[in-house]
Amino acid sequence: MEIRTVLTGPFPRSEPLVAATRDLDRGRATAEAVEARFAEDERSVVALESRLGLDAVTGGYLRWADLFRPFAEGWPGFTVGPVTRWFQTNTFFRQPILHAPPERIAGVVRSALPSTAAVPPERANVILPGPFTFAGLLDNRSGETREALTHRFGRLLAEDVRELRAAGYQRFQFQEPLLVVDPPTGPLAEATVAAYQSLGPAADGGTTIVWTYFGDAGPVQPLLHRLAVDVVGIDLAETEPEAIVPPPERRGIGLGCLDPRTTLAEDAGEVARIAKSLRKRGNPKELWLGPGGPLDLLPTDAAARKLHVLPAAKQILLGPEGVS
Amino acid sequence: MTSPLFPAQEIGSLAKPRWQLLGQRGEPLDAAAVQEFRSWNDRVKFADPASPELRGFLEGRPRALEPSAVRDLGALFALRYMEAAGLARVYDGEARRIEMYEYPVRQMHGFQFLGHVRSFDNKYYRKAANTGEIRLDRPYHVDEFDFVREHAAGIPKLPVTGPYTLADWSYNEYYLGRETGWKGRAARRHAQREFVVEIAKRAIRPTLAALIDHGCRVIQIDEPAAGTHPDEADIVAEGFNAATEGLDATFSMHICFSDYRSLFPALLEAKNCQQWAWEFANRDTEDRDGYEVLRMFQEYGDTREVGLGVVDVHRNEVESAEKVADRIRRAAKILGDPARIWVNPDCGLRTRSLDVAWQKLRAVVEGARIARADFERAG
Repeated sequence: MEIRTVLTGPFPRSEPLVAATRDLDRGRATAEAVEARFAEDERSVVALESRLGLDAVTGGYLRWADLFRPFAEGWPGFTVGPVTRWFQTNTFFRQPILHAPPERIAGVVRSALPSTAAVPPERANVILPGPFTFAGLLDNRSGETREALTHRFGRLLAEDVRELRAAGYQRFQFQEPLLVVDPPTGPLAEATVAAYQSLGPAADGGTTIVWTYFGDAGPVQPLLHRLAVDVVGIDLAETEPEAIVPPPERRGIGLGCLDPRTTLAEDAGEVARIAKSLRKRGNPKELWLGPGGPLDLLPTDAAARKLHVLPAAKQILLGPEGVS
Repeated sequence: MTSPLFPAQEIGSLAKPRWQLLGQRGEPLDAAAVQEFRSWNDRVKFADPASPELRGFLEGRPRALEPSAVRDLGALFALRYMEAAGLARVYDGEARRIEMYEYPVRQMHGFQFLGHVRSFDNKYYRKAANTGEIRLDRPYHVDEFDFVREHAAGIPKLPVTGPYTLADWSYNEYYLGRETGWKGRAARRHAQREFVVEIAKRAIRPTLAALIDHGCRVIQIDEPAAGTHPDEADIVAEGFNAATEGLDATFSMHICFSDYRSLFPALLEAKNCQQWAWEFANRDTEDRDGYEVLRMFQEYGDTREVGLGVVDVHRNEVESAEKVADRIRRAAKILGDPARIWVNPDCGLRTRSLDVAWQKLRAVVEGARIARADFERAG
């Protein structure tokens, strides 16, 4: 069983970047100065990810105002809507409003990704909204059904994956908190499966990951196992470890083992214990260890401390008593 | 004699004027700050600019007013601002507070402040970790209430951040750390209940008791985090009860930007709450469906007052008085009893300029007047 470690969502902005972006809003800083600060922070996150030996780097997605903003601002048919609570957190996103069936503009997603200078495509973990969560969280005034939208987002995002794959990107992670917070059933579940049937092959030999968080994945696993992806991530803060069913053969599993809702650092030994127990019940092809949700719910130092748990747990698993 | 329908009330903080921010830092006022001061003083009459201290302050002499006197003046300004706008229940715009979380937490032992966390876009707040047993240094908000009581023409209504919100906006290290094994859902919930009730009993309740001793009669418990974890609505209610039970005041609970439906019916167990002051305008459309959630009160037979959010605090576009009136009419129709409705902005207007906030408050008051006239005409 291969063990991989990765940052699975946005990393918090540093205190200097917080100050810079506030100054920008108050007219006390130039866009150029703030951009320079973003670039510096991005390099710092990559340096941290590299120092910890994570198997992919992200740059922390520091510029993204929320998971959907590049799409809401860059694709036709959208406007940026009201401030809306981001699941069960004290953070918010601006709900995209979709006024017409969505269309994709090539290059929008690529240009929103962390710079290739800091995050080389071959090392990158590209983090995108999953089609089910995207379709479910927007304010749909397009006239399309949610099922049709889910399916359509799968096809549109697949085009982005193809574009990025051609540019050398290899790992594509789709954020699907809504899949476990408000799981689909019936035609909506089938539309979700269909959406991933578009997405999976688009990666063309690359790795596709669905990362769920903020909800109990236990009851949703039969559906998660049907998604045409290589790895499914499960939030251990919400899902009882004993309820995790090993994935089908040739599939990997992700353990969201860092809880971004508390600064209390996890015990690497406990994480390793859960991973070992999972192996006893099945043998996933790959085990991915990552945060259970977005680490930008924490201040920078606490997030960095938590990230150290990933290589520590991996080390335990790789040791003489390990499972690999 | 019955009270007029749809009285208007404050709901939270206002932006601090530039002259207050400069003055508190001991910096001389610049031309914009002086202009702002004079312009608002012409409109809401909160100070005598001919007094020697104020003349020095307005002429840009540093420390012509001590920072504490500037804060007093800021509080008086906000008070007169609300009164001049026509609100029946008023406060000082939280002129002395940093914001609603950090200030109360800094009055308690057992917390350690960490860095900033992003709320949305480029908006952030500082967040503390609970690292030990909670102990209150001394009851807070008492001095500011004394000042308001002394100067208010309207009815003082004091906002206090609630125990659930203080807990939810903090990192729970101490109580969670006492749980054994993997810190999954069950452990988190157990630790959260303990944390909320301890804050309520050890910090909020003594503060409320002190405020009531000083004559405070209308208290708004702010629980913006109440909707964050719908499965913890019972803990919100438990914290509210632990903080308020047996205390003699009119208590309301303010919640905003939440899926209210998910809080029913557990939240209704907050027995000492007389008014639900919630945000609605942010989610409203031309069909007025932002107010449909009020049907839940009917469904569960809850007949308490509603503090109705009728203007959106996140947008500069000022609602027309007619739109506000229409929102009130819709709410009254759903609730079936217009006498249960107070009107207010969705939430504090701190993120709007004083000019925009003023126009929005005026729209609240004028919209209430229009709706009131309609109901009176209809008998």
